[in-house]
Amino acid sequence: MQISNFILKLFLALHRVYSVYSDLAEIWRSYPFREIIERARNGVDAIYPRDVLKPSIMLLKGANIYKTPTRYATLDELLILPPAFTPLRLKRMSELLREPIFSDVDLRHRIGGFDVGMPVMVASMGSVQVANKVSLEVARGAARMGVPMGVGENVATTWGYSKRIRSSQPCFKERVLTYFEHMNDGLGGVTIQQSVEDAYGELWNRVYSDPDIEPYIQKGLVGFEIKVGQGSKPGLGGEVRLSREEAERLRDKYHFTEDPESSLRGSIERHSAPGTYVPEILRSMLRLMRNNYPRCRIWVKLGPFRDLPEVLDVLLSEGVDAVWIDGKEGGTGMSPYVSMRHLGLPLIAALCSVSGRLGVGNGSSSVIVSGRLYDGGHLVKCLCLGLDGVAFGRPVAVAGWVAGHRGVENYLKTVEIEAKMLISALGKYSVRDLSREDLGCLDRDIAERLGLRYVYG
Amino acid sequence: METEVSLELQRLSQQLQQSWKIVRTPRMKAILKIQDIACDAMRSYLRSEGFIELLPPIIGPVTDPGIRGAKQVTFDYYGREYKVMSSAILYKQAAMSGLGKIFFMSPNVRLEPIDSAFTGRHLVEFVQLDLEIAEATYFDAMSVAERLLCEAVNTVRDTCQSELEYLNRNLPRLTPPFKKLTYDETLEYLRVNGVKMRYGIEIPWDAEQLLSKLVGEPFFIIDYPRGARGFYDREDEKRPGILRDFDLIYPEGYGECASGAEREHRYEKVLARMKETGEDPRKYSWYLEMLREGIPPSAGFGIGIERLTRYLCGLEYVWEARLCPKLAGIHSP
Repeated sequence: MQISNFILKLFLALHRVYSVYSDLAEIWRSYPFREIIERARNGVDAIYPRDVLKPSIMLLKGANIYKTPTRYATLDELLILPPAFTPLRLKRMSELLREPIFSDVDLRHRIGGFDVGMPVMVASMGSVQVANKVSLEVARGAARMGVPMGVGENVATTWGYSKRIRSSQPCFKERVLTYFEHMNDGLGGVTIQQSVEDAYGELWNRVYSDPDIEPYIQKGLVGFEIKVGQGSKPGLGGEVRLSREEAERLRDKYHFTEDPESSLRGSIERHSAPGTYVPEILRSMLRLMRNNYPRCRIWVKLGPFRDLPEVLDVLLSEGVDAVWIDGKEGGTGMSPYVSMRHLGLPLIAALCSVSGRLGVGNGSSSVIVSGRLYDGGHLVKCLCLGLDGVAFGRPVAVAGWVAGHRGVENYLKTVEIEAKMLISALGKYSVRDLSREDLGCLDRDIAERLGLRYVYG
Repeated sequence: METEVSLELQRLSQQLQQSWKIVRTPRMKAILKIQDIACDAMRSYLRSEGFIELLPPIIGPVTDPGIRGAKQVTFDYYGREYKVMSSAILYKQAAMSGLGKIFFMSPNVRLEPIDSAFTGRHLVEFVQLDLEIAEATYFDAMSVAERLLCEAVNTVRDTCQSELEYLNRNLPRLTPPFKKLTYDETLEYLRVNGVKMRYGIEIPWDAEQLLSKLVGEPFFIIDYPRGARGFYDREDEKRPGILRDFDLIYPEGYGECASGAEREHRYEKVLARMKETGEDPRKYSWYLEMLREGIPPSAGFGIGIERLTRYLCGLEYVWEARLCPKLAGIHSP
């Protein structure tokens, strides 16, 4: 009797403690105390994602933008829906004289003027140390898989054009030439971004008159990429956190909100200008690029802007080789928290806004997308929507860190096999045969906007 | 990588390794004599028209960006990046604002793309007669350009008969005015002759060469669309999207002779146009400051001396018209 009394009292006491705790937790959760404390304690540092382990890990891991998972829809809202009747499988069987299997799917395609082994692109990673450091492994792996690779902005300005500024960091030309030297069967290509600051050093002109790159320009394997915007920070320029000594070296070329020399902080954010556009400016830039670099492909990367349809119309009418739309989920390595939370359209919303312009035969222009995409399912869903491919950024960098160029190849091979499995499940064996009939959507409104069947309908 | 391009480069490179010897040949003597006479004729003509010749600045913090994919020469100037002039356009406008009618014999350097080595019409180092006229329209500039070319051609024709004979060159007498085709008419003319090109881009070299053969006399292409030219070519306010500019084309397949325009001199317009050409306005601070303070409207053009010599002498390659020529990708003396 005494024992049970004791247990009861203990239970009540624990409950009281728990109630006090949950009340406090409730108050804690009801207001962003933690954020405000962080800001008060760390100042400007608190604007950017930080990690308790190491700041550079953050760049690989990306920010936790899915803290509230139901906040917006992702490609998980879509399902791939195979039919039982598969006339194209019958056709393929008659070509092969046997039952086709998933390995009979042909993933070769053309993206942005390049012939590719699979409709995937390695996103243009820039000068951020953690990406640059592993960039030669990424270049080698991507080249061997016949997947085009972008070289992001500021690499030449930050790490040198043809000579390393710091021995541990590959320079611009190493990244480009490593890729070309490992290409197979002419599949793939390299696109090169030029930021406002790179323009100061005339990066594109330098590449275009470089005898070492000339043979590849001649073969049509080089593209120049205008970055009009980026996923998680549309409307903002590139941001990188640099050590104070790097910042001092680059102070004349970039914007720093505090003087690197007098700053007391160990690392300082380097800001890059976002660039200024109106339709006429963009149109003229494209024409100028065609004039100045007639042998290069012209690529344009867009952030998830609200006027995507208008921008896309300008780009398609100018016949650019590729338009790349980066959804809000993309590029979260080094973006201010506030922009990740509040700026731009999620990828699926961006796709809804341009849905009518996809898969309708835009001349020779390709449209690709990116933003937290990393498996064969993501790729196949995008292809079904009429896109020409997807770009992977962080997954490729992580794979490079894990197991070098083999890691990159292994990773891309998994995507390739997954995509082949899913496409073959649809009874189709070529990228061109995929269409919206192959998808269903869990949300009625999104289904309607994308022209897909509603799965519960 | 052994490609056709690299083999061709090697061949040209061998040919130019002893270019310093070429000046001793009678052929080169004839070419350089004709060049000298032509320059003298143009100088005399311009002086008689009230132009002043100035010594051209050769280096500066910024130079002409409108050079079609060629790279500027950048060097360290006491801790800052400076450029070797790719054309004197920015300084020309400065000089014009004080003196009205001016010209430079301006040495220019452009690190052209490698494929330009085989066009027969590109040099890395060359000289331009670069002139600017205050308060002038592009029609005024074209009128000077055609008379200038006639003066050079007719003087050479009259005074260098033995040299022309030696070079086996039959130079026709020219009389102004020259025919003017708009960009749109040019595209149509090319289309009729089987060449299709996208509206809005520069006329490609091979198409220009074809035109140059078909028309049969020197002619102007005028009114290029915006986007095809540098930020300093003025847009026609009554015809948005059309620039008030021109190219003068030689006959017989010799291609472009001169390129010119009315200048956009209004600060805000230039700033917007700079963005279109992907330029960072910070780079052009002195020039923009000059425009903000205000300069007169003007028009002008540049005429390449080596290309002129090529036409006068009927040469296959422009590099034959220069002492120790420099071609893209070739390391020659």
